[in-house]
Amino acid sequence: MAYYKLPLGVQDLLPEECYNLNLMKAKLQSVFEGAGYSFVSTAILDYYDTYSDISNRIAQEKMFKLTDSDGKLLVLRPDMTLSLARMATKHHEKHSKLCYFSNIWNAMGAGGLSSREVLQAGVECFGRTGAFADAQLIALAVESLLSLGVKNFIIDLGHVGFFKGLLEEYGFDDEQVEAIRLAVNAKDIIGASEVVKGTPAEEAVLALPTLFGGVEVLDRAQALTASKSSLDALCHLRKVYELLASFGYEKYISIDLGTVKSLSYYSGIVFTGLVRSIGAPVLSGGRYDNLARDFASDFSAVGFAIGLKRILLVLERQNDLLPLPKADVTVIVEEGAEREGYALYQKLRAQGKSVDLKSGEREEGAYYVRKGENV
Amino acid sequence: MITVALAKGRLAEESSDLLVKCGIPAEVIKSDTRKLVLASPDDEFHFFLVKPSDVPTYVEYGIADMGIVGKDTLLESGADLYEMLDLKYEACKLCVAGFPDRKNSVTNTHLRVATKYVNTAKNLYAARGEDIEIIPLHGSIELAPVTGLADVIFDIVQTGSTLKANGLAVLEEIYDISARLVVNKVSLKTKAKEILPIIAKMRENI
Repeated sequence: MAYYKLPLGVQDLLPEECYNLNLMKAKLQSVFEGAGYSFVSTAILDYYDTYSDISNRIAQEKMFKLTDSDGKLLVLRPDMTLSLARMATKHHEKHSKLCYFSNIWNAMGAGGLSSREVLQAGVECFGRTGAFADAQLIALAVESLLSLGVKNFIIDLGHVGFFKGLLEEYGFDDEQVEAIRLAVNAKDIIGASEVVKGTPAEEAVLALPTLFGGVEVLDRAQALTASKSSLDALCHLRKVYELLASFGYEKYISIDLGTVKSLSYYSGIVFTGLVRSIGAPVLSGGRYDNLARDFASDFSAVGFAIGLKRILLVLERQNDLLPLPKADVTVIVEEGAEREGYALYQKLRAQGKSVDLKSGEREEGAYYVRKGENV
Repeated sequence: MITVALAKGRLAEESSDLLVKCGIPAEVIKSDTRKLVLASPDDEFHFFLVKPSDVPTYVEYGIADMGIVGKDTLLESGADLYEMLDLKYEACKLCVAGFPDRKNSVTNTHLRVATKYVNTAKNLYAARGEDIEIIPLHGSIELAPVTGLADVIFDIVQTGSTLKANGLAVLEEIYDISARLVVNKVSLKTKAKEILPIIAKMRENI
C-alpha cells in the first residue's frame, strides 16, 4: 500500500484549478456581499448527535466519524444548512443573511460527480418569508450563475407543499408517503402506481411525474386537486414566478412539481440549477422553515448552495478556464548580488508587478542583477 | 445532439426497431461494426452499445442523455435517473427459486441466496427483516441449489425450462421485469425540446 496515494473520492487541487476556483470565489463574494450577505465559517467538527438526534437525521453511513478523547462521537460537518441552523439558534436575529465557502463531507461519495469532500458556496436567509423573499433568493441564484459565466442554465422550481397537500387528506402513512415520493422523484410512474392504485390520490399522483415545463404546468396542476394546501402552494409558486419574470429572469426559470425533495427538510419552494453540459445539478436550494426546531429554536430559513467543483467542470467544458498567469517580471541575480536583487524585487512589487526572483544564468527577457549594481 | 446508451444484444436490436418506428434513424445500431460510437446519418443521434449494467452509469453521469435497459439492471444499480417508460418488451420476472420441498437447516438458519443481483437481494430481504447469506455468482445460477452451494436462487426467469430440467421451481415472483426508457435528470430539462417528443412517440409505439 502506497501511502502517498489518496483515499477514494477525494482530490488535491493543483494550481490551475485553485487559480480558477479563487477567481470564482471572488466573483461570488462580490455577488453575495453586494446583496447584503455576510461570510461565516462553521466548525468542521461537530457532535454526531447534532445530526443523528434530529428529525432531519443524516444517515449514519453518510457521516465521517471520529472519536473524541472523552469518548463522544464526532463527525466531519456533513451539511452546511444544518450546521448554520445550529449556529444560528443563538445568532439569527442579529445576523440574518449569511453566506459561506465551505466543505462538507459525505462518506458515501464514490468519486466522479459525487466526491466525498464537496466544496460549496452558499447563502442562508433567516427570518424572512413570503413570495418576495423567495423570489429574491432565486434571483440571487441566477445572478450567481451569471457572474460565474455559466451558459445554458435553468433554475428548475417546485414546491413540496403541492405534493404534501395531494397526500395529506388520504391517510397514507409516512412509509407510504416516502415510497411515493421516491417513485415520483424518479418519474417512475409504475413504482408510484403500486402504492396509490385505486386510491382517490391516484390521478393526481400519477400525473406528478409529467408536471414539468413552463409556467403552464401550474394551470395543469390546478385542475388536478381541490386540496387547499396544494392550491396554496401553486398560488405561491405563481407569485414567485411572476416576480422573477418582472425582474427579467423568466428565461432562466422552469417549473417541476414532480421534483419532491425531502419532506422533513423542506417546507416550501425548492429549486435546482441545471446546466446542459453536465448531467448533475450545480445548485440546489429551497425553504426550510421547520429546520430550526431541531435545534430548539424557531425561525424561517431559505437558502441555496452551489457545487463549486461542478461549476469548474462546466467552465472547463465551455473552454472558459483561464491558464495560470506567469509572473510579470523575472529577476535573475548573479552570485553575491542577492541584496541588490531583492531591492529590485521590492521596487517592482511596489509597482504592483508579480516577480519571479531567482539566482542563475542570464536569460532572455529577464532582468539580470550584478553585484554592486544600483537598482 | 442526443446520446443514447443501449444494452448490447437482443435488447439493442428490439430497441433499434422501436426507435426506427418512432422516426429516429437508428438503423445503424444493427450494423456490423467495431465502432464504439454509432452516429445516425444526420449526426443528430449518437448511440453507445454497452454492457447492460453500464447503461445506468452512462445515463446517471449524463454522458448518455437517455438509455434503454432492463428493470432488473435498474433495480441492481440504484442509479439516480428518471425512469420514463415501460417499453414492455424483454418481459420476464425476477423470482426466488429453489427446491419446492427444501428442509430448513438446523446448523445454518440463514437462508443462503445465490444471485447476480446482490444489491436487489440485500434490499429485498432487509425490507422483510430476514437475515440471509448472499452468495454472489455471475452465471448458471441454477447450479447453486443443485450442488448445495445455496438454498435458493434469486434470478430472472423467462420460460422456467432450466429450472424445471433441474428439479427446481419458482417459489416466489418478486418483480415484473421489462425494458425501460431511462433519461438523465438534467438532460430531460435542458434538452426538453428534443427529448420530450421522442418520449411521446415511444409511448404511442409501445
